Amino acid sequence: MSDHQEHHDDGHHVNYFKIYIILLVLLVISVVGPIVADVIREVTGVAWIATLLTLVTAFGIAVYKAKLVIENFMHLKWEKRIMKWMLTTSLLLMALMFAGISPDVMNHEGTNWRNVAAEAAVARGIDSGEEEAVEEDTAPAVEVAFDVESMFNIVCATCHGSEGLGDGPAGAALDPRPASFADPEFWETRDMDRIVQVITNGAASVGGSPLMVAWSASFDEGQIQEFADYVQTFRPN
Amino acid sequence: MAFPKPQATLRSATGIPTGRLAVWWLLASEVVIFGGVLGSYLMHRLGHPEWADAAVHTNTMIGAFNTFVLLSSSFTAVLAHQAAERGDGKTAAKFLLFTIGGAFTFLGIKSYEWWYEISHGYTITSNGFWAFYYTAAGLHALHVIAGAIIMGIVAFDAWRNLELQRVELIGIYWHFVDVVWIFLFPLLYIAK
Repeated sequence: MSDHQEHHDDGHHVNYFKIYIILLVLLVISVVGPIVADVIREVTGVAWIATLLTLVTAFGIAVYKAKLVIENFMHLKWEKRIMKWMLTTSLLLMALMFAGISPDVMNHEGTNWRNVAAEAAVARGIDSGEEEAVEEDTAPAVEVAFDVESMFNIVCATCHGSEGLGDGPAGAALDPRPASFADPEFWETRDMDRIVQVITNGAASVGGSPLMVAWSASFDEGQIQEFADYVQTFRPN
Repeated sequence: MAFPKPQATLRSATGIPTGRLAVWWLLASEVVIFGGVLGSYLMHRLGHPEWADAAVHTNTMIGAFNTFVLLSSSFTAVLAHQAAERGDGKTAAKFLLFTIGGAFTFLGIKSYEWWYEISHGYTITSNGFWAFYYTAAGLHALHVIAGAIIMGIVAFDAWRNLELQRVELIGIYWHFVDVVWIFLFPLLYIAK
């Protein structure tokens, strides 16, 4: 028992109180930094200085605080080297995950693919229950207007094609292929009620392909009606 | 030694006390767990500029105060370790109780914060930001709860000068919980 304790004790006398005070001072700086950054942004209008200051005070200090705690409170400084390698391996695995996935997550389109849901989420933007933001006047009151044509091009055209011909890039791989709205045969069996029904509840609800999913969670009734009207515009006369 | 106990308790075949080795292994796996959550949050946040509009609703001052609480509880945890090394179990137990107090303060503040946010309509299903907010902070809070319980058990023994080596082990775990929060704070509160 005493063997390892003594061995472990040897040679490190940390002034814990001093480390604690340094941590608290760093905490204050990390809170004040972004506030100062906001002032700089408003007074000088130079955004990059403010951004840099926020990054350094928020994240730079977090890294340094973590280092202080890990080295001095957890005593990793005096731990055997294998322990550091173990933890480094974990960190490397985490970095590997980030490097592997982040290009796909951070971009919403790439070669032969588009993340329609993510694009729609960005387009909906502050639409998601953010009324307070307007009241508090912290952000400009940008109401993202619903524009049926651009929303069709983001959400529907991936499969149905921007001209409604069923020739969207993602549609090529589907079985059955998406219908062409310009095909007179298509309209022989369709009326407005059915189109609204399919957009709202998915094509499977009328015995069609389950690949045409329900959109009622993303759009309200009025918006779905606008989509249905827009689909009608592709109808050949 | 009055009672037989598992050999591993006091063995250090690798040159590192086995208990401490086990705690570090646990933390190595925790790094991957929290690293996964925070890494995913970061990449989504960078891909979704509109999340900034959700992030303005988190309360920086509450987050900062909770950081203060956790840093202080880490300080008392390391003082407990120092006392245990001197063989002073009673003092170690007292400092551990302060740390447990910190854990409860943290959880109390967190409960108020979540109650306030949920009652204003910001729930885990509101959008991606809030989903990550509740998942990451919730997973962290579970670790705080687990730490407080284990610390209670360790303090109970330490008070009677038993199993003092455990004071260091729970301390290492607790500092890790502190370190996770050190990163959660800027990610969820400061970056508006």
